[in-house]
Amino acid sequence: MGGKKTIQGWASEYQYVVSGWLTIGYFRSQLKNNSMRRVLPPQIFMLVLLTLAIVGSYRVARHFLTPPSFGEYGWYRGAALKEIASRTPSYAGRKACDECHSDEIGKLAAAEHKNVSCEACHGPSQAHSDDPDSHAPLKLADNLCLRCHEANASRPAWLQQIVVADHYQSKAGGQHCIDCHQPHQPNEAPEEKKPS
Amino acid sequence: MKSNLNRRGALKTFVLAIAGAAVLVPARKAKSIVKSLLVTTPAPAGYDPFKHKWLMAIDIDRCIGCGLCADACKTENHVPRGPTYFRTWIERYIIKKPKPGSGEIRGEVIVDSPNGGINGFPPSLVPREEILKSFYVPKLCNLCEHSPCVQACPVGATFDTPDGAVLVDPNYCVGCGFCVQACPFGCRFLNPETKTAEKCSLCYHRITRGLKPACVEVCPGQARIFGDLLNPTKDDPLQAFLQKNKLQSLKPSLGTDPRVMYANMDKEVR
Repeated sequence: MGGKKTIQGWASEYQYVVSGWLTIGYFRSQLKNNSMRRVLPPQIFMLVLLTLAIVGSYRVARHFLTPPSFGEYGWYRGAALKEIASRTPSYAGRKACDECHSDEIGKLAAAEHKNVSCEACHGPSQAHSDDPDSHAPLKLADNLCLRCHEANASRPAWLQQIVVADHYQSKAGGQHCIDCHQPHQPNEAPEEKKPS
Repeated sequence: MKSNLNRRGALKTFVLAIAGAAVLVPARKAKSIVKSLLVTTPAPAGYDPFKHKWLMAIDIDRCIGCGLCADACKTENHVPRGPTYFRTWIERYIIKKPKPGSGEIRGEVIVDSPNGGINGFPPSLVPREEILKSFYVPKLCNLCEHSPCVQACPVGATFDTPDGAVLVDPNYCVGCGFCVQACPFGCRFLNPETKTAEKCSLCYHRITRGLKPACVEVCPGQARIFGDLLNPTKDDPLQAFLQKNKLQSLKPSLGTDPRVMYANMDKEVR
C-alpha cells in the first residue's frame, strides 16, 4: 500500500535510459560501417534518435523533479502529511490536565460542568503542561461566564441562561459571578468569601 | 571505411549507461535523505494514515453560540485574526414568523456571523416576539468525498488523505485561489501572511497525536462530535451520535458528498 520504491521499480525507471543509450550505441556502431544507411533512410534514423533523446531526457528530468515521497499515499507529495502533522499543538487536552489536576477534574465530573473541557475556560495550556513553572494558564476574565450563559434568543432551551440585569441582585460595588457560584460546581457557593 | 572501434564504441556506451544508472540511484536517495533532514520537528512516529478514518459531526441543538471553537481554531492553527480568515466559524440563523395572513410557512431568514462568532454573539436586533426559531450552526470543511477544491487545484497542492482529511501542501500551493472559488461551502481562504490557501485540516497535527481537534476539545456543549470510524472506542461518542440522530449533510444537491454530518438541521441551513 505504502508504494515504497522497490528494486523492480528502480529498474523500470532506468530501463528507458539504459535501453536508449544502448540503442544509440548500437546505431552509432552500425552507422560507422554504413550498414544502417542501407537499412533505414537517414531521416527515419534521425527521428528515432531524436525521439529516444527526448523521451530519455524527459524521464531523467521527471525523475529528479518529482518529490521523492510522491505517490506514497496518493497523487501528491506524501511528505506533506508528515510536515503538516509535525506542528506543535497549543491545546494540551483534558488528559494532560488530568495528570496533575485530577482532583479538580474529579470535582468537575460530578457537577453540571462535567462536559466542559478545562481549556474552554482556562485557555490553551500546552506550554503550561510542558513547563508548569514558567507558564501559567490564562487568568480568567470576569465576564467569561456570560459568553455562554447570557440569555440569547438563539441559544437552545436546555442551556441555563440569565438576563444579566435581572439576575444580579442590586448591590453596591462590582459583583462577580464567582461571588455566588463555584465555577467548577456552579450550583454551589464558594467556600470562603472572597475579599472584593 | 572499416574500423575496429565498432565493438569498443558500443561497449563503451554500454558501460557509461550502467555507470550513469549506478550514479543516479544513490543521488536520488541522498536527495530524499537531505529533504527528510530539512523537516525540523518530527511528525508523530508510528501513525499510519491507512489505519484511520476521521469524521466530524455537528449537533445543531447542542451549539450555544459561545464561539470558543472558532477562537481556539485560530489560536491552534495560527490563523490571522482578521475578520475574513476562518477555518471554522459559527453562523446564527434567525427565522422570522411569517407575516400574519400571508399564508407562508416561515418568514424571512436572517443569517449573520459577526467576526465568525469568535467574540460570541450580540443579542439579535430582531425582537423575540418576531422570531419563529433561531439557532447556531457551526461550519467547517465538509470533508467531501468528491472535493471540488481538490479538482480545481492546478498544481496538485491539495488532496484527500487516506484518513479522511483534505489538506493543503503549503510548499506546493501557488496561491491562485481557484480552490477558494471552487469550495461551495466557503471553507477556504488565502492566508495573507503565507499567501497560500488554507482550510480546516481537522487539526491534523493533533489527531495524529491522539488529541481531539481544538474546536472539539473546547466545545462546552458537545455540539461537535469527533471520532475514528475504523477504530471505534468503547462507548464511542461518534458511533452513538450516528446511531441515534437523523442526519443530513449540507448542500447535497451539489453532489460533493460531504462527510460532515449535521443533526437537527433545518431546511434553511445552507
